[in-house]
Amino acid sequence: MVESGLEHQVFAPTDVLAHATPEVLASHLPPELLGKMLAASLASGSMTPDRVLETVTPELLAKHLPHDVLWACIAAAAERAGVGGDK
Amino acid sequence: MNLKGFLDTALTQALELGIGSPDDVLRHVTPELLSVHLPRPLWARLLTACLGAPRVDAQLVIETVGVANLCEHIPVAVMWNCLSEISTRSLGREFVPIQVSVVSRAVVSVGSAPVTRPAPLSMTPPPDEMPREAPAPRPLAVGPAIPSPSAADSLADVVAALEADESAASAPTRARTPTSQRFRQTNTGSGRLAATNSRRPQAVAPAEPPPAPMRTARRGSTEVSEIASEGVEPEAEVGRDDWKNALAVEDEQLVDWSATGEETQNTDEYGRKR
Repeated sequence: MVESGLEHQVFAPTDVLAHATPEVLASHLPPELLGKMLAASLASGSMTPDRVLETVTPELLAKHLPHDVLWACIAAAAERAGVGGDK
Repeated sequence: MNLKGFLDTALTQALELGIGSPDDVLRHVTPELLSVHLPRPLWARLLTACLGAPRVDAQLVIETVGVANLCEHIPVAVMWNCLSEISTRSLGREFVPIQVSVVSRAVVSVGSAPVTRPAPLSMTPPPDEMPREAPAPRPLAVGPAIPSPSAADSLADVVAALEADESAASAPTRARTPTSQRFRQTNTGSGRLAATNSRRPQAVAPAEPPPAPMRTARRGSTEVSEIASEGVEPEAEVGRDDWKNALAVEDEQLVDWSATGEETQNTDEYGRKR
């Protein structure tokens, strides 16, 4: 769902990181993913939501993050689009 | 020995003085090491800083995490290699890193070797049990020797023993030694304490005469009459002749004022003194 929403631009990587905050990422991602994310950012010189989602793919997000966090991201995007108000 | 404190101070000074750079630190403290050893709250702080910064570099990482936190959480051997490289480079010597197999959550070989994770606990055999030494016997507490009830004692025996103790307590074999009086007895002679007074009778002391009334320093006329009626002479009465003798004046010491003319000069025509 997250990957589909990103692909169809229902929400952007910024919207994902608005829910998957640094605290959530640091709490739930495995250490190797954190290290890889920092290494990629140091290599490129910046850490942007796009680059984060390039390292931590939607599949990895769905694997490690709580699903209610991801669902909140999807529901907020749907509400912005006028689809529904399910929280 | 506070090795972490020493490394913290030395690395901080090296960075402040420009002897070393944040890149020198991150060359040893790799993102992989950070991912293994850095606590999650520090990771959250680091990610927040990186996402909000326009540029992510070693300086941002070092400033966000802090040298103190690095020295606290990263293995000491890694931090020592970092400091050693900076020092030997500034001295123009060759840096020889120490090979360290580290530490708590991961086995890390310092240098460019990849980070390997420790084997899961299920694969490692349990450690051999070390024979424990028997603890030294604790000293026995000194107290009355109370026999412990045996298992053979029945309830009836216990009740019989208690009844025997009560009967023995109701008929004491030895008179109780009277203790000394704990309270002062009142002079009224009433009450239970007076009834149980066990003191020996004493002879009645003769009544003392009532004390003389208090006298003030100056006597009034009534007091003088009292003294006269009591037949007691006051102190001045006692020494009556003495003071008369002390004040006795002979006739030669007296001055005849009539012989002088002063009195006539000071009188007017009517004979009155001015």
